Amino acid sequence: MNLEAVYLQQLINGLSLGAMYALLALGFTLVYGILELINFAHFNVFMVSSFFGMWALELLGLSGQAVVLTGLPLAGALLFAFIVTMTLAGCLGVAIERLALRPMRAVRGTAAMITTIGVSYILFNVVLLTVGADSKNYPNPMPNVSWALGGATLRLREVLIWGITIVLMVGLQLFVSRSRLGKAMRATAQDAEAARMMGIDVDRVIVTAFFLGSALAGAAALIFGLYYNYTSFVIGYSAGLRAFTAAVLGGIGSVSGAMLGGVIIGLIESLGGQLLAVRWTDVIIFSILVLVLVFAPSGLLGRAAPNKS
Amino acid sequence: MLSRRSLIVQLPAATLAGSVALRAFAADKTVTIGIDLPLTGADAQSAQKIKDGAIMAIDEANEKGGAGGYKLNPLVLDDGTATAGQYDPAQAATNARKMVSDDTVVAAIGPQMSGSGKAMSPILSQGNLATITPSSTNPDITSPKFAGQYRPGGKAIYFRTVTTDAFQGPNMANYYADTLKVKSVYVLDDSGAYGVGIADTFQAQSQKRGLNVLGRDQLNPKEADYTTVLTKIKSLNPDSLYYGGVAQAGVKLVKQSYDIVPTIVKGGGDGMYGPEVLKGAGFPACAGWYATIAAPHVLGDPAVAEWTARFTKKFGEPPEDYSITAYDAANVIIDAIARVAASGKPVNRDNVRDAIQSTKLKTLQGEITFDENGDLVNKVISVFQIVKDDTKPLDDVAYQYKYMGVAPQSA
Repeated sequence: MNLEAVYLQQLINGLSLGAMYALLALGFTLVYGILELINFAHFNVFMVSSFFGMWALELLGLSGQAVVLTGLPLAGALLFAFIVTMTLAGCLGVAIERLALRPMRAVRGTAAMITTIGVSYILFNVVLLTVGADSKNYPNPMPNVSWALGGATLRLREVLIWGITIVLMVGLQLFVSRSRLGKAMRATAQDAEAARMMGIDVDRVIVTAFFLGSALAGAAALIFGLYYNYTSFVIGYSAGLRAFTAAVLGGIGSVSGAMLGGVIIGLIESLGGQLLAVRWTDVIIFSILVLVLVFAPSGLLGRAAPNKS
Repeated sequence: MLSRRSLIVQLPAATLAGSVALRAFAADKTVTIGIDLPLTGADAQSAQKIKDGAIMAIDEANEKGGAGGYKLNPLVLDDGTATAGQYDPAQAATNARKMVSDDTVVAAIGPQMSGSGKAMSPILSQGNLATITPSSTNPDITSPKFAGQYRPGGKAIYFRTVTTDAFQGPNMANYYADTLKVKSVYVLDDSGAYGVGIADTFQAQSQKRGLNVLGRDQLNPKEADYTTVLTKIKSLNPDSLYYGGVAQAGVKLVKQSYDIVPTIVKGGGDGMYGPEVLKGAGFPACAGWYATIAAPHVLGDPAVAEWTARFTKKFGEPPEDYSITAYDAANVIIDAIARVAASGKPVNRDNVRDAIQSTKLKTLQGEITFDENGDLVNKVISVFQIVKDDTKPLDDVAYQYKYMGVAPQSA
């Protein structure tokens, strides 16, 4: 491989990572935009969802990498898996909101955020104790198709990941900017009290934000499983923390910021690993988090925090 | 139903009530053997097989009336935690304190992992409580160079029924150079005590043997994505890859290296020997990987076939080589307790430690004797390659890891 090919390959790697981080970052941003709550349970909603996706694929009789589908059956299997995973993930998010966070809503301060940390650990341990600690061999029905691209390799799964991510993001953007509920979400994000006075059902908006954010985490989780052919109960922490950094970098509360932040973090991870050594990746990423928090707390595309008195 | 006696034994024996009650037991002659293993986390399956090996020896001794008349009571402690997702040295230290504070514990088996061993050794040393590890191979723990750090009590308390990475890493480097005839290598580790240690010794010997070491990097076991480092490795075009580390990072490395660098020679140490690799990475990704163990390979030996059958019958799952080293470790302790009892001296930690030190016992892996640091006198590194055997269960270590021979010892 010549030098350009290596960088092209790392660009491909970084964009795939970035797509996953972006989907995951959206969940932080949607909830933060409306409740100003950092939802740490999101880490492990992602992790649990990867198991939902695995079970959905196994339900179709797919296990390991033994069964390879092409054409319509592949599209059907993936569509089924995405719908099941995203629906279950969304419902999990709504359940967390309903059971653990709504009772805390009237409480001031950091109690709600700490509750989300608790919920995160509950999910983590429930999975550890029920499905076990070993790494799971994730089903992958995608054929091993790849194209040579100037010395680099572009695989079918990367193309699919980018395609699915773009569809989901465009869909989300349209939903937030065009639909009634989306407009209600934006109104609530700007000023919940005024929105309530205008007759917006704020509870419904909050439930929607949790559902959408968690469903996107579900999509990210399934993509994660298909991409790495692997899942385990520990995956939430590292991916979640990076996605959170992406959300902050892009401007927490901003939907397009989360997308941009995700891609940037993905690229930093792959190109940083190439230029230095992978053992420095965490140092680079979290230094960026600190620098953003100090010098540009509203992030790249974030609005300055509204003054709620 | 619990009898009153077993209820007392099951109480956390560190409590005052527990230890008083247990001391009163001396008439009934029971002693405790501590067992510390990562029973939750990424290495849980091989830890379970190690535990089974030890429990089997203890059960057999108890059926024959105990060791020198002493009934043996295993105290099983888990050093794996959810936060670490694998073995956790902090938990291992807590477990070591628990064993030391329990007067009935006369010796211990474990830990599985060197990271835990480094945390436990100083604590056990201060309590003069001997442990025998069936699998942890980091050489520092028993090296006289670090005696001040790991052996502040003075005497050797960390014994092994395996040899160390001072042989496992270098001998595999010799195998790479002599048998596999590779010219260049990229070295990775998983940032744990074991992984860094074995990768260091492998790298040093590779350089000595004239292999071109193209680079060295470190994987974060909690991170999922290794495509970056693998792309970098691919661009350097090495003949081979060596990974020092355990399964948590190893499984992901196997998967992703199969996609990115499918054809080069890939291998690791005993961290890559176990059902986790076969199950988590699966075929075809894991096929072709080399792994070593720091013990002679006796599982395939007809002499242990009968033992293997008994093991499989008792636990419903086949053993692996470190089940044997665990079984041997337990038998060394049982033999030591029996010798102390026979000599008429009190069966306590100090005497059991001294008896373990002077062990000369025929076991499944051959005769076991220890040097003054607690290391095995016999040093054998066995090499395996994962070769798919469709006729047998695909996660059965005994069949899917094909024995390739003994790695050449450096002169």
